Amino acid sequence: MGKFIKWGLPALSLVVLAAGWWLGLAWAPPDREMGDVQRIMYVHVPLQWMAMVAMAINFVAAVTYLMKASWKLDAAAEASAEIGLVLGTAGMITGAIWGRPTWGVYWSWDPRLTSEAIMLVTYTGYLVLRRFVEDPDKRATWSAVVAIIGAINLPIVWFSVRWWRSLHQVQSTPKTVDPEMTLALRVSAFGMLFLTLWFLVQRYRQALAERQAEVALPDALPPDLAAAGGANSTRVA
Amino acid sequence: MMTLSTQMLWLLAAAPGQVGSGRIVGGWGYVWACYAITVVMLVLYAVSLWVRRPKAPSDAKE
Repeated sequence: MGKFIKWGLPALSLVVLAAGWWLGLAWAPPDREMGDVQRIMYVHVPLQWMAMVAMAINFVAAVTYLMKASWKLDAAAEASAEIGLVLGTAGMITGAIWGRPTWGVYWSWDPRLTSEAIMLVTYTGYLVLRRFVEDPDKRATWSAVVAIIGAINLPIVWFSVRWWRSLHQVQSTPKTVDPEMTLALRVSAFGMLFLTLWFLVQRYRQALAERQAEVALPDALPPDLAAAGGANSTRVA
Repeated sequence: MMTLSTQMLWLLAAAPGQVGSGRIVGGWGYVWACYAITVVMLVLYAVSLWVRRPKAPSDAKE
């Protein structure tokens, strides 16, 4: 299993993602109105979906952490927030580029774009908070609270295109796009999902190793925190 | 100079084939830019994960 995650999962991700993008760029038909520009969908939409998945994992890990404190849950929350931010930022950039030829502008304060920007700022703040708080226990608790507050925005981002008369089109899903575009979208999304899972595993391991090092080596912490380090050592790994 | 009725007739003649048939032509530069930026970002993030990887197995103390 370890070998599959280390080598098999990234290889599978690259193969599936390359296949999905090839289908999107060369096989799927152009859109009736957007023409070839619509092929941006096969990179933009999977990025946004996986950003939402990562942030949903962050929310679940944060809630679970507050119910049952565990360094594993804290590490999962940290990993998913960082990956969600990377994917969400890439999604926003690709969306802005898509907006230029279709809307005439790179950016508009449309409900979807605005809520998405708020989401990215929130998770940037979440990661900044984690950097500033040195006590691992306080860091985990406070960041879990921020994650839960930030997650309130997730359904707003998702449903904004339905709740308001928005410049942004309704979500591109296999139900809303032409059937001839569905295969390329699905394959691209699965490729991005596998890549996201691989990123999550790698980042989770790294975050967990950091937590364990902080707890196991209190000398590495600032003196005032090292003095209170005994409390941290009781946290379930 | 076109009279109003002439203009109406011209519009009616043109409408069936043209209204709603606007389509963006080209734009491949935007498409390639999106894919290239995404690939660069994903590769850079993968490299950052590799650089930050734990030196010892993370499950040694579980």
